[in-house]
Amino acid sequence: MALADFLVSLLTVVSVYTLFGLGLNIKYGFTGLVDFGHVLYFMTGAYVTVVVTLPVAATSYEGIGGFALPQLLSGVPLGGLLAWFVAIFVAMVVAALLSLLVGVPTLRLREDYLAITALGIATILHTVVNDERWLFNGPFGVRDVHQPLAEAFPVSLGSFLVNLAVFGLVSVLVLAYIGYRVGDYVYGVDLRAAAMAAAAAVLVVAGLGAAALGGALVLGGVLVAVAGVVVLARGIGRADGFGRPLALFTALVFVAWHFGTPFFTAGPSGVLASAVWLFDPTAGADGGFTYGRFVLLVAVSFVAVAYWWCERTVNSPYGRVLRSIREDEDVPEALGKRTFRYKVQSMMFGSALAAAAGGLWATHIAFIDPTQFIADITFFAFTAVIIGGAANNRGVVVGTAVFWTLHTGTRFLNDYFPTEYATQLAALRVMLIGVLLMVILYYRSEGLLGEQTYDTGVAAEEGGRSE
Amino acid sequence: MVAVSDPILEVDGVEKYFGGITALDGASFDVESGITGLIGPNGAGKSTMFDCITGFRDPDGGSVWFRGEDVTGDSPSAVANRGVVRTFQIPHELPEMTVRENLALAPRDQRGESLVASWARGDGYYEDEQRAQRRAVEAAERFEISHVLDTPAGELSGGQRKLLELARALLTEPDLVLLDEPLAGVNPTLEERILDHIQTLAAEGYSFLFIEHDIDVIMEHCQEVIVMHQGRVLMRGEPEAVRTDDRVVDAYLGGDAE
Ligand SMILES: Nc1ncnc2c1ncn2[C@@H]1O[C@H](COP(=O)(O)OP(=O)(O)OP(=O)(O)O)[C@@H](O)[C@H]1O
Ligand SMILES: [Mg+2]
Repeated sequence: MALADFLVSLLTVVSVYTLFGLGLNIKYGFTGLVDFGHVLYFMTGAYVTVVVTLPVAATSYEGIGGFALPQLLSGVPLGGLLAWFVAIFVAMVVAALLSLLVGVPTLRLREDYLAITALGIATILHTVVNDERWLFNGPFGVRDVHQPLAEAFPVSLGSFLVNLAVFGLVSVLVLAYIGYRVGDYVYGVDLRAAAMAAAAAVLVVAGLGAAALGGALVLGGVLVAVAGVVVLARGIGRADGFGRPLALFTALVFVAWHFGTPFFTAGPSGVLASAVWLFDPTAGADGGFTYGRFVLLVAVSFVAVAYWWCERTVNSPYGRVLRSIREDEDVPEALGKRTFRYKVQSMMFGSALAAAAGGLWATHIAFIDPTQFIADITFFAFTAVIIGGAANNRGVVVGTAVFWTLHTGTRFLNDYFPTEYATQLAALRVMLIGVLLMVILYYRSEGLLGEQTYDTGVAAEEGGRSE
Repeated sequence: MVAVSDPILEVDGVEKYFGGITALDGASFDVESGITGLIGPNGAGKSTMFDCITGFRDPDGGSVWFRGEDVTGDSPSAVANRGVVRTFQIPHELPEMTVRENLALAPRDQRGESLVASWARGDGYYEDEQRAQRRAVEAAERFEISHVLDTPAGELSGGQRKLLELARALLTEPDLVLLDEPLAGVNPTLEERILDHIQTLAAEGYSFLFIEHDIDVIMEHCQEVIVMHQGRVLMRGEPEAVRTDDRVVDAYLGGDAE
């Protein structure tokens, strides 16, 4: 698999879980509801989306449905896509209603009980889905996941060169835009912090590179990489701005990884392939734009809309009430706000977002079964939200990216160790994330970005801004 | 004339038990408009009474009536929306939110407080929010906390928290305000200003029931005083009558009062 494909798949996963995390952040970050059963709505979203769009009597499927919506809408232009959107919408509504059912009894409980009860309910329903084949085919999962427009891919614009030029240009523009935004943010970082971030990046990259060569270099390389992280930590400790050196470090590591690795494995053509990452030269006769890349764009669009939606929700008097509930529920109650209603709505909104994420997940992965919806997914999202900074929508994006990059990106380590260590390595990688979480909580308990600021949309002269 | 002397709040035989402890033992009293003081020794049940009136605790017996309607067992927000707002003895500031946000939260029936309105931002959304923000600033000025408007409330001093709590309660435009020791920890000059302010608001038609241990303040500012002792109402009357009552002197005032 080319590096670009890995990147596309990683970004898709990050997008899906960002959407999932945005929903959790509404509940936990802004309202203070510790919903340890958040994955329930992700699972609901995935299954509902899949079953609504599943053909009737799909092979080796013995559950409810399918309801064959794409076939029903086959007369309509873009009917398959429309059916998919309808299915996602239905999934969001079903998840919201389910969370209403779960929320009405549990939201009256004290918050620690809420966490336990929500976890319990989610676990029970997960077990039911796993054990009852008549429901959604149980442990055998669901194949034949409807992938809207899949038949149109890979998209080719005519010739290899045209494809390369057009998709390549878009790819480069996207990279350039991201580079510009990062550069703009990093601009103004003090020199010493920048130097330390750069040195740290070089050490980490060189260390990991040496480790990747295998043999006796593995241990030394890993040690050098660790030294890089220590340098970075010191650099961050010195700088007053925390995010800037970190962003610079991340950008440098990314560039080294994204362009350096292919250079060493495939030479200049590898670098080119990484630069035009939206273009897949191996797709079809002339190369082109693959379905996986299309799903990524859809996922990113979903995240953009959800992000905007969440921002609008929390930057309002409504969001203010949510936060007051998080801080001390007695206060809004004493002031006449019906806090129970707000908590139920927060659950429903957050769950609907989780369901949309579930639908996207199913489309991306093309096969769902209960193992994808274990409680770990909830705790991964909590970890990501806390790493990025609870009650910060941007923090969810950052935290999720950090989490899944570490979780997935460290998988390559498996290649350099004997296969009998695979299980231990998998556990070690999760431990690594645990260590990161502890380091962050110790040095910066509010997460990388901390709580966001709010603006209800009333101009500053009117006194509407709060920093 | 009848309407004027009608009590706005009636507490009828309210009981509250915490395990073996009897916090309220069938306490009954009426509150009329104006400023009423609620006094009594520590542990007399004053704060518990506030909790039972405002719905934060369900009484184990008896009933609470506000303006002729039974509000016993109503949720706190329902009671608040009828016009009874309370402050807490230990200030409940919202620590991570700024003073400005603490205050802007308070006005009732803001349009932007509904989920859909927060998305749609239709008619009146911005006007309402501007009004809430303006009122927050005014309240902060009145209670001398405008210099900390953008400070997280968790960083305020004890006295400032009291002021914030009071300002926030008044922003709901209540009929009856229950103040649980609003002056505890406030410096003397500010104390005067708060009392003046309460007087002004009382003249405007707000009513107050307030718990206070300083008998001089009670004497000077209250039309009526209710004395609680061991979960019951010991007596209710005009300040002068209360101060000279033997039972009250024995139970609460001790030798300090003449
Ligand atoms: N949550 C509780 N659990 C158990 N007992 C309680 C609780 N709250 C109050 N009590 C008891 O109820 C009685 C009345 O307490 P309350 O707080 O109402 O007194 P108070 O008159 O407000 O006193 P103070 O002047 O000290 O504020 C006390 O004996 C107290 O110990
Ligand atoms: Mg008390």
